[in-house]
Amino acid sequence: MASSDPDAALIARVVVNDDRHAFAELVRRHQSTVRACLRKLTAGNLALADDLAQETFVLAWRNLKSFRQEARFSTWLYRIATNCWLADARKRKEELLGDADAELPDDEAGDDPNAGSADHSRDTALKMDLEKAMRVLSEGERAAIVQCYHNDLTHEEAAYVLGMPVGTVKTHVLRAKQKLKAQLGAWQQ
Amino acid sequence: MNAHDLDASDDWLEAALRADADSHAHAYIDDAGFSAKVMTALPPAIEPVPAWRKPVVAVIWGVAAAGAALAVPQVAIDVGREAFALLVAQRLSVPMIGVALAALGFGTWSAAAYALRHE
Repeated sequence: MASSDPDAALIARVVVNDDRHAFAELVRRHQSTVRACLRKLTAGNLALADDLAQETFVLAWRNLKSFRQEARFSTWLYRIATNCWLADARKRKEELLGDADAELPDDEAGDDPNAGSADHSRDTALKMDLEKAMRVLSEGERAAIVQCYHNDLTHEEAAYVLGMPVGTVKTHVLRAKQKLKAQLGAWQQ
Repeated sequence: MNAHDLDASDDWLEAALRADADSHAHAYIDDAGFSAKVMTALPPAIEPVPAWRKPVVAVIWGVAAAGAALAVPQVAIDVGREAFALLVAQRLSVPMIGVALAALGFGTWSAAAYALRHE
């Protein structure tokens, strides 16, 4: 049975009464958006995205008392999720340094049965190329694009999530778009 | 709506990013046991200490101390006498007061930290 309590009421129940049912409801409400955000950040690595999403919610549980409602709860979750992804990306970079055959992520688009078909729509092809082009972005650039576009955050909210000044967010978005334009130049009409 | 830098030459890229974002926004990811997995990964719940336990423990310690004093009354009297003599015989000085206060503070904080360790 879906609860009609807003997030703030559920959070209060968790913090005051250690109410795990309330936290389970918060997880159910936000799992889709957090997992989708991490799938974008991990460039389609579904297993890794879900592992990081689980870690995100466990950290949220541990630190819920320190959440001061300075942002929306979903924005706070994005912040934790992004930090988890960054920590994992840096750890992987250290492990795979110099390895040209680095582990390839699961590619959802690769499972598309229409891939390569002559009837493959232009929009779908552009979407697939965009997914691939996102992989050349730096961590900061990719995170900025995901927060500002896919999570539809303002620059100020993205700055809170990414823990960087608003100007830096804007610079990352600008540089990301320059790189994407270079990668996707053939699509420019 | 997010205010992104718009340049006429970026329109196609902006449209592609927004279209990708729209499809992302409308694509719900089925829970498929994810929430349950998160809940099992949470740290176990700490059982609260029953309300009757602390007073009972205090009474037991009190009874034990009283029992020890009654069992060996002469020892208790000797210890008390020596402790009093130790305190009274000392000349009071500022460093001694400081040491006494520091020892009292340390004892108080240690007891408080021990008592509050589960909170």
